[in-house]
Amino acid sequence: MIGLVKAELRKLFTTRLWWIMLIVMVVLVGVNLAFIIAFAGVSQNGGPALPERDTMEWAQVAWSVGSSGGIFVMILGVVMITSEYRYQTVTGTFLTTPRRERVIAAKLITGLLIGLLFALVILVFEAATVVPTVLLSGGEFSLAETRIPQVSVGILASLALYGLFGIGLGALVRNQIAGIVGAVVWAYVIESIFTAIPALHSVGKWLPGGAAQSLMSIDIDTGLGRPEWLPAWGGALVLVAYGLLFAVVASATTVRRDIT
Amino acid sequence: MTAIEIRDLAKSFGSVKAVDGVSFTVEAGSVTGYLGPNGAGKTTTLRSLLGLVTPDSGEALVDGRRYVTLPQPVSEVGAVLEATSFHPGRTALDHLRILCVAAGLPDQRAGESLEMVGLADVAGKRVGGFSLGMRQRLALSSALLGRPKIFILDEPANGLDPAGIEWLRGFLRHLAHDQGAAVLVSSHVLAEVEQTVDNVVIIAKGRLVRQGTLKELITNGDTAIRVRASNAADLAPALEAAGAAVERVEDGLLRVRGIDAEAVGQIALDRRVVLTEVTQERSDLQKVFLELTGER
Repeated sequence: MIGLVKAELRKLFTTRLWWIMLIVMVVLVGVNLAFIIAFAGVSQNGGPALPERDTMEWAQVAWSVGSSGGIFVMILGVVMITSEYRYQTVTGTFLTTPRRERVIAAKLITGLLIGLLFALVILVFEAATVVPTVLLSGGEFSLAETRIPQVSVGILASLALYGLFGIGLGALVRNQIAGIVGAVVWAYVIESIFTAIPALHSVGKWLPGGAAQSLMSIDIDTGLGRPEWLPAWGGALVLVAYGLLFAVVASATTVRRDIT
Repeated sequence: MTAIEIRDLAKSFGSVKAVDGVSFTVEAGSVTGYLGPNGAGKTTTLRSLLGLVTPDSGEALVDGRRYVTLPQPVSEVGAVLEATSFHPGRTALDHLRILCVAAGLPDQRAGESLEMVGLADVAGKRVGGFSLGMRQRLALSSALLGRPKIFILDEPANGLDPAGIEWLRGFLRHLAHDQGAAVLVSSHVLAEVEQTVDNVVIIAKGRLVRQGTLKELITNGDTAIRVRASNAADLAPALEAAGAAVERVEDGLLRVRGIDAEAVGQIALDRRVVLTEVTQERSDLQKVFLELTGER
């Protein structure tokens, strides 16, 4: 299995997509951070404002932006499996490892590892931007009174599990375009509807995005009421369950299909 | 032991019977040509053999076992399927190194295998820029990674230029005759494999139509001897007296059936007739192929 995971990592690192996705992800997190830096302490229409830049409350909010990288890991997971079908490299993969469920298992593990890698990059990037911002604004940076360590663990866990989720989804869908479009529509449209509208929220917290949010376990008032997430461990279980469910269903259906 | 065994294999796609009760075997040390027109069921047979397609019934075995149960498949069977199965953005060497680590083989096999097919100097180039012929060679090098003793190749000559086809012929003969490998190679062009194969299996519309050695196929039916002689008119009755059926084609040219060339020569010598040509007529292989596969 170690050999198969190594093979999957080689597949990813010998093509260009992974670093393109990494750069795009860092840019997106950077843009989000820029907004949070710019609008710190600014009150909009009398509504609740972001905390001031020199507070640890602000640092905590800024830190949680990292969870937006999940979509990129999910897409990468989808591509890791669908590109095999697109370029028919799946033939060689299954010739080398005819027991196909082992290939899927190796890809799931690789998806987790890639998620962790991307999360680490985000955390380093956040440390390099948020900490100086607080200090330059005259504040003092101390982790002790914040939930930043928990948020960091949440980012690591949610990105890793998004990788798993993407692999499961890709195995089920097989078609690359359908997989990516499905992932994006799901993350940006369906998830936002379910997490933004309070009435739907009891369903939304069970969806992958809601489950990922619960890993951050941070309270942000959206103005529509304080969302209630699952406990962090519950969110992790939900994400694992989605990824594994997809992978198991895929192994029993699409993965078993004839390769012609 | 029989290297490859196909027994009563059948596979349908929807209502189309791609393979319909095919059986044949391939022995070590020989090259077997698996021939038939496009859509005859060749690829389906080979993919069933490799566990990529699940047959409806029957068995396809390598070394007496199903491919999917082999503990180290790459080290037992080398397969070349379609030449398009590469990621265009990946280099040739990386492609092989991925297969090496997945199969538990040392990484240096990748470079060695590229050298064996003459691609060593483009090892670091992306496959997207490769010609069809180079892709075929790369596919072949991936089959060589595990140094297997059984080779299964689906239309490996597709896209090769004449020099490439010549090289492939030599390579397959070397694998089978010098290294004792069992080679099963499919083709829809008989002439491509004519000089390479020892045995032929011919399939048409999913059914086996002929199996045997290449020699048997060529001497299919009754073959005639073309005899040109100075005094053909004298020779003909003598040949007929010896039991031959003689057809007088034109002045000085006979087609003789029923006796062999040596007997013709002996009779001519006895009659003191000068022979200017004695040719064993070969049945046209392409014609035989087309007749057998019902293409004509």
